[in-house]
Amino acid sequence: MATIMESILKVEQRTKEIKISPEELAKLIDHTKLSPYKSTKSMKGLCNEAKAYHFCSVCINPYWTSFCAEELKGTDVKIATVVGFPFGQTTSKAKALETEGAIKEGANEIDMVMNVAAFKDRNFDFVVEDIKAVVEATGGNPLKVIIETGYLTYEEISQASKLVKEAGADFVKNSTGYGPFGATIPHVFLMREAVGPNFGVKAAGGIDEFRDALRMIAAGANRIGASSGIRIIDSYRWAKHSDWLIEEIPCRLCPSRKATFKSMPKKIFQYYKLKCVDCPYRRFNRFYE
Amino acid sequence: MSSILRINLSTGRISEEEISQDIRQKFVGGRGLGVKIVFEEVDPLTSPLSADNKIVLAVGPMTGAAAPTAGRYEVVSKSPLTGTISDGNSGGYFGPMLKALGYEAVVLEGKSKDPIYIWAHRGDVEIRDASFVWGKNINETTEKLLGNTEKKAKVACIGPAGERRVRLACIMNDNHRAVGRGGLGAVWGSKNLKAVVVLGSENTSIADEDRFMRAVKSCRMTLDKNPYTKDSLKILGTPVLVSVMANVGILAARNFQEGHFEEVDGIRGEKYLERIFVKPYTCFGCPISCGRLTRVDGELGGGPEYETLWAFGPECGVSDLEGIVKANNLCNSLGLDTISTGSSIGCAMELSERGYLDEKIEFGDSEKMIELVRKIGMNEGIGREIGEGSKRLAERYEHPEIAMQVKGLELPGYDPRGVQGQALAYATSNRGGCHMRAYLIGPEILKVPAGVDRFKTEGKPGIVRLLQDTAAAVDCLILCRFTSLALNIEQYAELLTATTGVEYSPEEFKKVGERVWNLERLYNNRAGFKREDDLLPRRFLEVPLETGNSRGRVVKLEKMLEEYYEERGWTEKGEPKEGLLKELGIWELAH
Repeated sequence: MATIMESILKVEQRTKEIKISPEELAKLIDHTKLSPYKSTKSMKGLCNEAKAYHFCSVCINPYWTSFCAEELKGTDVKIATVVGFPFGQTTSKAKALETEGAIKEGANEIDMVMNVAAFKDRNFDFVVEDIKAVVEATGGNPLKVIIETGYLTYEEISQASKLVKEAGADFVKNSTGYGPFGATIPHVFLMREAVGPNFGVKAAGGIDEFRDALRMIAAGANRIGASSGIRIIDSYRWAKHSDWLIEEIPCRLCPSRKATFKSMPKKIFQYYKLKCVDCPYRRFNRFYE
Repeated sequence: MSSILRINLSTGRISEEEISQDIRQKFVGGRGLGVKIVFEEVDPLTSPLSADNKIVLAVGPMTGAAAPTAGRYEVVSKSPLTGTISDGNSGGYFGPMLKALGYEAVVLEGKSKDPIYIWAHRGDVEIRDASFVWGKNINETTEKLLGNTEKKAKVACIGPAGERRVRLACIMNDNHRAVGRGGLGAVWGSKNLKAVVVLGSENTSIADEDRFMRAVKSCRMTLDKNPYTKDSLKILGTPVLVSVMANVGILAARNFQEGHFEEVDGIRGEKYLERIFVKPYTCFGCPISCGRLTRVDGELGGGPEYETLWAFGPECGVSDLEGIVKANNLCNSLGLDTISTGSSIGCAMELSERGYLDEKIEFGDSEKMIELVRKIGMNEGIGREIGEGSKRLAERYEHPEIAMQVKGLELPGYDPRGVQGQALAYATSNRGGCHMRAYLIGPEILKVPAGVDRFKTEGKPGIVRLLQDTAAAVDCLILCRFTSLALNIEQYAELLTATTGVEYSPEEFKKVGERVWNLERLYNNRAGFKREDDLLPRRFLEVPLETGNSRGRVVKLEKMLEEYYEERGWTEKGEPKEGLLKELGIWELAH
């Protein structure tokens, strides 16, 4: 496994080499709206935007599945419905029922949340069975499994990704957007390493502009979850007019620098922060140049 | 058919001229058209306050149409504050009414013996006596002129500051919208021109209505999805930036002696909302609504916007929000540029603090600050000296290093030590220290269109050039520059294509801006500006910030400047090369 910083440096280099058109980039985006307070007008807007930009899908809460399916009938935009969202703490049966209902109402893809508590208890059999229950309920439609990397160590991320693959899902996804971390390069890189080349990796959370999106693709993602899809594509049209890919100080892209005491379990916070101590690149982690 | 209205204020002659298709295609309108006219007709060595200087009021091809924010007009002239070619544009409702007269530009030349105003309405143009409004403030002038013309008309005018040729004077329209920078109000005053009042009735013509409406729809969708244009600016207005800039340590304080203002809590956007906000103000055709109407001591006013909050706030060490609002209202009433006025007062405060200036003017004294604003506007006492701008003021007291300006124009509210790209943009700006020529705060702080490391210099010259050219092209349309926080070059090019019927690729659209930029540069070169003028005050290059989240930083200008010239295709002296001018199609115009 590449060290954390090596993965960041490698991805920064690869990002510069990515050749992808705005239209191709749009086709990798799940146009997402998962807030609890969005109105019908707002969801209709989401569908219209997805149609106009030819996004891969709209990623929505189950309540909106039939509405969006109707709005998007006859278009190339899919419906990705979330299940067990956002904590993944419902029972396997409930997740399966939710999935069946969503598929019946027109969902083409399911984004489920892994039971992180069971995983943390090392109850891996349960985790796999939980996912399998949903795989069966999807009726062959693609399933993405959110492992919520912000609660996991690097070793656990690798392990969880492998379990997702073993359970028969189609994608491993890093975050609900409600967890401690959004998408970070080392996490996505590690997920890709764990599942190999022929499996889906979805990066989601905090992807606000095209540089973020390109970085995630360079890290190994082949699907992007974002509520800022329009901004990503519109801003990407600026890319060809100048070189925007100025190198970042790598520590700014590292989960250890991003970890905050407020939003994550104490142990995980310490785990990430202590990684800095032994990091051969720690010289970059300073405020002054 | 598009044409120019020319009014000679010396002779009273009024004439019309056609604009050739070639000129329209190359310069589009707004800033481009105005710069082209001033370049051709005003000798770069002309004294800005002489009768030989000219004023161009210009609109864009889509002004008054349904494109978002297409309600602006542009004023171009030679600046009495900087000596550069200068321009500014303003929102409100004057622009569409000017467009509705059927002209793309109005050229005002010569000088009237007596105070006059222009009354242009439905095919008729009159030069009228303005003695009854001479000496009146902006609101009174506007009210009286509407009373003497028609209520539906729109007024752009100067206040007492412009009449007295104060170099910080601006042009105001719709009572509180301003063509702020560069002292162009003084040029009006020097011609005894008090106001231009317009009432038109022609609709803006669009070449391909269907394509135009599709382009408008796409732009509106983008604006509606952008967090700045959809939420931040709509809810808090530009004062939202106070907290953002404070957090990154570039909210310059006390004449840029610090990058951190410890009393910032009193002037944040949230406090603004709680204490003085009345309702938003929306310019013509704008889905963003960043304008604010405020009330203090029963007086209703427009603003202050972020830059004004900064200029009369941290820049002068003032955290008294009500005091800042009063200074802002006074500027609006007298017709003064709030940025240059606040910053020049900040300069006077530092001169005083260091004992270079006899008059006691202390940082943080809001009452004194308000008194100084009045004196500047009325050109009285110490106000007469401060009203010359910070550069002349500091030079008078033999401490030019205290003036925080570039080419004589006071810098706005972003300390360049924490934003290297913005620093380069300030240094190379054609109208002097200005954030509107290229808003690097977008990529360096707000992450639009993409985030770049604000402390790095690598790659910045290319981005500065791109944003300068794009901004110049947008000023030709003319759309509000806040749209650039969301829209991209393709969308602007599509709007222009649909409006004019002439196919503009994104590259060609950018080239419009590049053409304007180089013509402005050439004009400034001929007016005597050299590479040495692409400079920042020594403080930014040598004295690191001590506090805030940009502490320890200075601007590394020299290396960026060299790369920038190379990027632009200029000589080492900063002059556009022959090949470039030919490529841009302005070689003949330039010679």
